[in-house]
Parts: sequence; structure tokens; C-alpha cells
Amino acid sequence: MADPINHRAIRWLRAQLPELVAGGVITADNASAIERHYAAVQSRSPNFGFVILAGIGSTLVGAGIILLIAHNWDELSRPIRCALAFLPLFGAIALGFFVLLRRNDSVPWREAAAIFDVVAVGTAISLVSQTYQIQGSFADFMRIWLLLSIPIVYLFRTNFGALAYIIGTTVWVINKSFWSSVQPGEAFFWLFLLLVIPYYAIIARKGTSGWAFRTLSLALVVAGAFGLGATVDFARTDVGAVAFAGFFALFYLIGMLWQKKSESLNALALLGGLGIAVTAIVLSFESMWRLRSDVFWSQLGIEQQMATLMALLFPTAAILLAGYSFRRGRTFYSIAAASIPFVAVCARLIAFLAGSSSWAALLFNLYTLILGIELIVRGIRAESIARANFGLLVIAALAFARFFDSDLSFMARGVGFIVVGAAFLMANLLFFRQRKQA
Amino acid sequence: MKRIGVVIFALVALAQLSVPGWAAWMRTQTLQKGKLWKFRIAPVDPIDAVRGRYITLSFPAEQVPRSEPMHLETPAFAYLKEDSRGFAEIDHLSTTEELNDSVIKVMPQGWWNNVQRVKFPFERLWLPEDLAPAADRVYGQSSRQQKDNVYVTVRVHNGDAALDQLFIDDQPLAQYLRGQRPPER
Repeated sequence: MADPINHRAIRWLRAQLPELVAGGVITADNASAIERHYAAVQSRSPNFGFVILAGIGSTLVGAGIILLIAHNWDELSRPIRCALAFLPLFGAIALGFFVLLRRNDSVPWREAAAIFDVVAVGTAISLVSQTYQIQGSFADFMRIWLLLSIPIVYLFRTNFGALAYIIGTTVWVINKSFWSSVQPGEAFFWLFLLLVIPYYAIIARKGTSGWAFRTLSLALVVAGAFGLGATVDFARTDVGAVAFAGFFALFYLIGMLWQKKSESLNALALLGGLGIAVTAIVLSFESMWRLRSDVFWSQLGIEQQMATLMALLFPTAAILLAGYSFRRGRTFYSIAAASIPFVAVCARLIAFLAGSSSWAALLFNLYTLILGIELIVRGIRAESIARANFGLLVIAALAFARFFDSDLSFMARGVGFIVVGAAFLMANLLFFRQRKQA
Repeated sequence: MKRIGVVIFALVALAQLSVPGWAAWMRTQTLQKGKLWKFRIAPVDPIDAVRGRYITLSFPAEQVPRSEPMHLETPAFAYLKEDSRGFAEIDHLSTTEELNDSVIKVMPQGWWNNVQRVKFPFERLWLPEDLAPAADRVYGQSSRQQKDNVYVTVRVHNGDAALDQLFIDDQPLAQYLRGQRPPER
């Protein structure tokens, strides 16, 4: 597949042409040939501003329709209100056919038609529900809306549609589990999210530097984190630590797998890395490792067992992916960052077998320290001040967390601070020595 | 490739039309052919961000004398009868499904002191936005006085229960509130 067009690079190159001709590097003919080539390429690529405007425009029209309909005209008879509910949907479907047949190559047309259709479906369902007093929870409404919208994402290849769909799954799982007592069926969230993954993979294959990849990555990670929170909460089997460690490690590893050498760190790897650091800090608190004493596998309901297995799928996949790449000699990732699910499993076993939350927490304190140091070393090697600073930030956050952690004795805190301080000094020393040599 | 896309979109569009279409058709059938029941009510008024405004209804008839508790979260079937004043009440509860114009599906809730609580499949009454607050106020007053003049009508057809209208003093809600409103400025 062709790489996405880097507009900034093209602008730069075109601005350089007169200088190159003047310097005798290329001839005037070469320059005009290059100019013609990029003029053609740019005219083929969609105008990003127009795509945004089309998306926002159709969202606004859709929102206006929803407001009109929520007003619920009581002057009109039921059949007339019902017919009105279908009007936007008929319009959206007609527009959809037109776009597929006549404007299939135009990104703004596709985005606008898709958004309009998704909004029109939601409007039709909710207005019919109001008109005929059809009962059902908000979660039921969202579920049917999501299922009727996901084909549109693929048919119209719409990034806005995919984004709206991912946000929709998040709203659904929040409504299902956080605002009411956790209800069965919340595991369907993963099925909903899975439906959009192929589209995300298509976008990722086109390139990991575009806005679509960045935005969808962010939405996916946030949605997944909410869903995982709901799943481990529902399972009630104390798998949250291991699950979140695996979740972020998996995203980090996939991001690194897709990373191109010449480009800066892609959004997925970045989000995964940030998630790993935050998880490591959170799990360094002793209270995170106090387990429930009354969990017996055989006493759990089938749905709770399924939720537990679902949550454990992430660390399993992360460990397998890391192990597979390691065996093939392709350690493109930070070993410390990738090993967080493994460390979390060890800590969970310590907490369970030894019944000691403080040893598990101590393990994670050590791990976070090593993670910070490795990040600094990798940053220095890659000559990336940002990455080295991120490593330092992890260690600083760890020190900060321990300072406010009253669970540990003064003795333990004192020793910890000395270790962190020494590590800081060493890291700085290494960093500056390297810089001097360079 | 283009043709496949159009065909799939035609199928998706059909599904998108048929979900609300089927729901509307089912309800129309129930409202036309169903048996009419009157239920006494007691309301409150939360706001649903997407679907306009509604009144949450609860019914005195949702409490049924019963010697043993029913299994929670497993649907049960309530057999309806009319009391001496013509209002609906539950004759008995059963777990065997029967679809006729006097049976509705209910969700068993708590059981206490030989009384089984159940939840009817109609608990929200959608209202026009401008009427909801006034309706709630009027309702709160009327239902606290426990009079027979506040009730909803429900049509039941083959087990499907469709909430129809809300009545105060034997007038549909909108009509009643219009009579109560101060004259337009």
C-alpha cells in the first residue's frame, strides 16, 4: 500500500526547488518536473479542512434534528409523528446510495453521508420509542444503535464514523456498569469493540503518522481501559492489576511492531508506554495488592468466570507477543516496559501465596525503578531527550508516590529515597557523559 | 466491488428501517387490538439526555400478596383482573408463559412480609418537553392524595403491553394541563 502523503515535506521540498536550481544541484527541467509531480499528487489527496467541515456540518444538522425531535410535538397524531421520525432516515439512505454510486472517491462526501446516516438511525429509533411509549433502558437503545451503525463505518470508510462508534461503545459500557450496579451482559462490550478493530487495522496499514490513526488509537485505548475497568469490576476476582498491566503492554507492543524507524514514536506505542508507566506507579501502592479473601473459582457465576478469562486475555497476548518477538531476535521494544504483565503475575502470586501485599508492592517499586532507568538508557541511546526525561519522570513519580504513602515505615521510606536519589544521580551522570562524547 | 458495496448498503438500510418500523408496527397492533386496562400510579420526574422528558411511573398494583419469594431477574407472568372500581390489579403470578390480553410479563423484585414486589414492563411515560414539569407537579399532588382520578391506560395484546395515555380527572394529561395553564402572555 502507498505511504500517506507528507504534505509538510512536500511544501518544504517545493520551497527548496529554486535554491537547488540556483546551486546547480538540479536543472530547471528537473525542478518543473518535480513541481508537476507534487501538484498532481496534492490535487488527488483530500482536503483535510473540507473533511473536517463536512463532518462537523453533518453532525450539527444531526444534532439539530435530535433536538427538534426530543421536543416531542404533542399536537401531531401518532402516525404523523412516526412518519416524521423516518424522514431523516430516508434522506440519509438516499444520500448514502448517491455517494456510493457517484461520489465514492470523495472523502468529505463519504464522511458526511455516513455521519448523517448514523444520526438518522438513532433519531428514528428514539422518536418511535417516544411516540409509542416503547420501554427499554438507555443501554438497550445504544446497543441496537451501535449494531446498526457499524456496517456504515466499513461501507463508507469513515474515520468520523469509526470514532463515533468507539465513543458509543464507551458510553454503552459506562452506562451499563458504572451508573447502575454492574449488570450481566457487559462483556458484550468486547464484541462491540472487536467489530471496529479491522477498520482500525486498515487505517494503521495506511500509515501511523496521520490524524486518523492518532485519534482512533486514543479513542480505542480510552474505550478499552473503561471496558477493562468494568470487566474486572464485574469479575470480582482481583485480576485488575494483571489485566491492566497486560492491556497497556499489548498496545505498546503492537505500536512498536508497527513503528517505522525513520518516524517518531507512533501514537499507539506512546499511549501504551504512558499506560505502562501509570500502571506501574499505581501498582507500587501496597493497598492495590490487598486481595479479597472470599474468592473461590467454583462459586463464581459463569459470566464472572468469562469476565475473568476475558481480562486475562490481555496479559496472555502481551506475554506471547513479547516472547515471540524475543525468540525471533527482534527486540524492538523496551524489555522493562514489555515485561510488566509478567511482573504483575509474579506480584499477584506473591500476594496470593504468601498473603503479603507489602512484598508484592515492593516488587513493583523495584520494577518501576528499573523501568525508569531502562527508559532513560533507551532515551540516551536514541538521543531522544524526551524519552530520557520520561524515564526520569517515572522515577520522580515513584519517589513522590512513596513520600505520600503512609503505609510504609520511615525506615523503608528512607532506604527507598536513598536508592531513588542514587539512581537519579547515576542516570544524570550517564546522560551527560554520553552527550559530552557525542 | 462498487456493486457489492451498494448491495450491502441496501441490506443495512433495510435493517435500519425495519428496527424502528417493526417496533412501531407491533405497538400499533397492540394499541388497536389490545384489551384496555386502567392502572393507578405514583410518579417522579428525572431527565433523559437523549430522549426528551419522561415521568417514571410506579404502581400500587406492583405489590402482590404471595407466600413465598419468586426468583429474582427471571421474568414472571402476571395475570390481571379488574377490582371493584374498574382498576387493574394482579390476580396471581406464574412462571409459565401464556400470551393473551390479560397477561403481562413482569420482573420479580424483592419479597417481604408475604408481599412480592414486581416491575411492570411500562415504567416510563414520555411527555412533551413543555408539559413535563407541570405534569410532574400536578401528579405529585394528585397521587399523594391516593385518588382514583389519576391513572394510566394500557393496552394488552398477546402479552405485549403498550402504555397509552395518562389521565387526570378522566381527561388525557395534555388536555387537563391546557385547562390548568395561565392564559398566554
